Amino acid sequence: MDLIQLLLNGLSLGAVYALFALGYTLVFSVLGVINFSHGAVFTLGAYFTYLLIGGQAGANGLLAGLQLPFALPFALALPLAGLASALVALLIERVAFRPLRRRGADSLLALISSLGAGVILVNLIQLLMGAESYAIPIGTLGALPAALSLGGAQVRTVQVLLLAISVLLLVVLSVWLEGSRSGKALQAVSEDPVTAQLLGIDSDAMIRLAFGISGFLAGVSGGLVGLSVSIAGPYFGISYGLKALGVLVLGGLGSVPGAMLGGLIIGLAEAFVPAAWSGWKDAVAYGFLFLILVLRPQGLLGKPQATKV
Amino acid sequence: MTGIFRLQRRTELSARTGLGGRRLSALSLALLGSALALGGCGGPDPEQLPVNLSQGVPLGAVLAMSGNANVYGQDQNTGLSLALAELNGKGGINGKPLALKIEDSGSDEPGANAAFTLQINRGVLALIGPTLSQQAFSADPIAQRRRVPVVAPSNTATGIPEIGHFISRVSAQSSVIAPLSIARALQLNPGIRRAAVFYAQDDAYSSAETTIFQQALTAKGLKPVTVQRTQLNDQDFQTQITAALQQKPDLVVLSLQAVDGGNMIRQLRELGYKGAIVVGNGMNTPNIYPICQKYCDGILIAQAYSPELKSPANSAFLRRFQASQGGAIPPQLTAQAWTALQVLAEALQRLDRRQSLQQRNLAEARQALMAEILSGTYQTPLGEIRFTPEGEVIQKNFFVAQVRMDPSGKSGRFALLP
Repeated sequence: MDLIQLLLNGLSLGAVYALFALGYTLVFSVLGVINFSHGAVFTLGAYFTYLLIGGQAGANGLLAGLQLPFALPFALALPLAGLASALVALLIERVAFRPLRRRGADSLLALISSLGAGVILVNLIQLLMGAESYAIPIGTLGALPAALSLGGAQVRTVQVLLLAISVLLLVVLSVWLEGSRSGKALQAVSEDPVTAQLLGIDSDAMIRLAFGISGFLAGVSGGLVGLSVSIAGPYFGISYGLKALGVLVLGGLGSVPGAMLGGLIIGLAEAFVPAAWSGWKDAVAYGFLFLILVLRPQGLLGKPQATKV
Repeated sequence: MTGIFRLQRRTELSARTGLGGRRLSALSLALLGSALALGGCGGPDPEQLPVNLSQGVPLGAVLAMSGNANVYGQDQNTGLSLALAELNGKGGINGKPLALKIEDSGSDEPGANAAFTLQINRGVLALIGPTLSQQAFSADPIAQRRRVPVVAPSNTATGIPEIGHFISRVSAQSSVIAPLSIARALQLNPGIRRAAVFYAQDDAYSSAETTIFQQALTAKGLKPVTVQRTQLNDQDFQTQITAALQQKPDLVVLSLQAVDGGNMIRQLRELGYKGAIVVGNGMNTPNIYPICQKYCDGILIAQAYSPELKSPANSAFLRRFQASQGGAIPPQLTAQAWTALQVLAEALQRLDRRQSLQQRNLAEARQALMAEILSGTYQTPLGEIRFTPEGEVIQKNFFVAQVRMDPSGKSGRFALLP
């Protein structure tokens, strides 16, 4: 297959993984815990988007037949879905993380608690919306063509959009972290929350901010993926979540550019799997991940872990 | 740059979460002891007690009501509910109502195993399910070991009845149905020369059906120009599709489940594929319409059920279905689920007439019921069916349909081809 086609395939896949992994990264950076409810928030973002553009709840949930009295354009529904997801992420922080943090509980407990929050959320979605699949209508992107031809290679327009939004969010996030007072405060908290607190930084506020942004990213990526490949029921975030965990580790825990780089590498690794082996692309991607971690356990852009004695 | 953006947090990876080997051993022994103690506390073997008819004649169904196969489970749930109402309306099992309990298997094997075990432990006389062949290969051996009859309403992979003599199915296997749609595609377009095949390699149904499809293609002189493998949970097929389209196929053959299959069709069309598409039984549900929407139009599928079949059994089924679903056309999975319950009910009626179920113990009733299922001939919505001694269905009528979407692309129908 043409190199351009393979690159496009890999980049469009990788963009989704990267966007997902960015959310994990932010929370990990401030709490040192992987937030396992992230996949559920991602799923929720897809459902929010679907409902906001005028989608109707199916026949099998408590909200059967529900349709909002308005239908927003996708460009407006997506950021709103992101905001709604951010609120849910803040709620998760409040009920699943903060009480444990206040009691000085082991970070492993917060990880389990986040897993529980995710399971509850997924089940809640199922209860309300049923287990059926939903699809964002074809034509939601208006007059844009279904696919674009770039250098002789074909790529779906929605994939290009996904890649563009991912890059945009990375740039915005990076500029904010580097150039704003609150971004620097977040970095300080991620380095050492106690010292940051002593310097007058409200660590709790920074943690809430990380959750909010992480939830926003999850909601937006859920909406975009839902647009691209439909919403295959309440569990559809799980496989993306697992892949994004690999991306997170590959890029280096807590590293924003690492998350992007890891996503793109895993995406490209999958795309370059020969057609005859296409069903083994996960194995190839994870094999690649394994190899890199053997050679560089801290991930591509991660710092070596400090050893405590 | 990395130094600026890094949000690295030092983590402490301590060993404090680990349990020592000695503690684990003690814990294991304690659990084992508890299990043995509990096991020893039981009364007489429940399978040697008379069949418990206090709530009705106990039957169980295990359907994928959640997870990525939920679209099938929901169709089947409708079929079972309607059949239950119809059969109980006609007096159940010689005056005793059928009591059908439905459990959700999720869409995976552990879920199916757990649901089978739960139902068997409840004392059901027979089981309907599970939804997927992949699950059947895992859960059916449990029923076989416990000697509980199973009637599969939707397992089409090769080798299902061969799991054991308590396993039967009313869903005709892929090898019977799948070649029909290939033949019809070539009949509609004799110029087809290059076929591309897609299947989910981690799914028993898909793997079995694609073998049949590929054999049928080869028999027609169309050795596939590319075979692309996916996985059950895949949703993005850009890589496989662009690889396949480089081979310039004019026929695409899919053996995928409904959600991934629907996505595959949408992405195929969006990436510019304009040729014919033949799909397998996994997409034999109207639940694909919301996924591939307008792009579902024109796909070909072989079916084991036709709403247009003229028979009293199909009329009764159609009447019930359309009354409850606002005049909609019933999908095959719903008709097959109805059929599965009908088969069990008629076999139970015959069995009960010979010797009342109340006079049999559970194990004996299950054994006799299996023999009764296999010996009968049934007039069902699928037409007349019976079984081989191994439990394989023998069905007379099969059909090929083409999906016709309405102009809005929101709903459609399987239009039978003459």
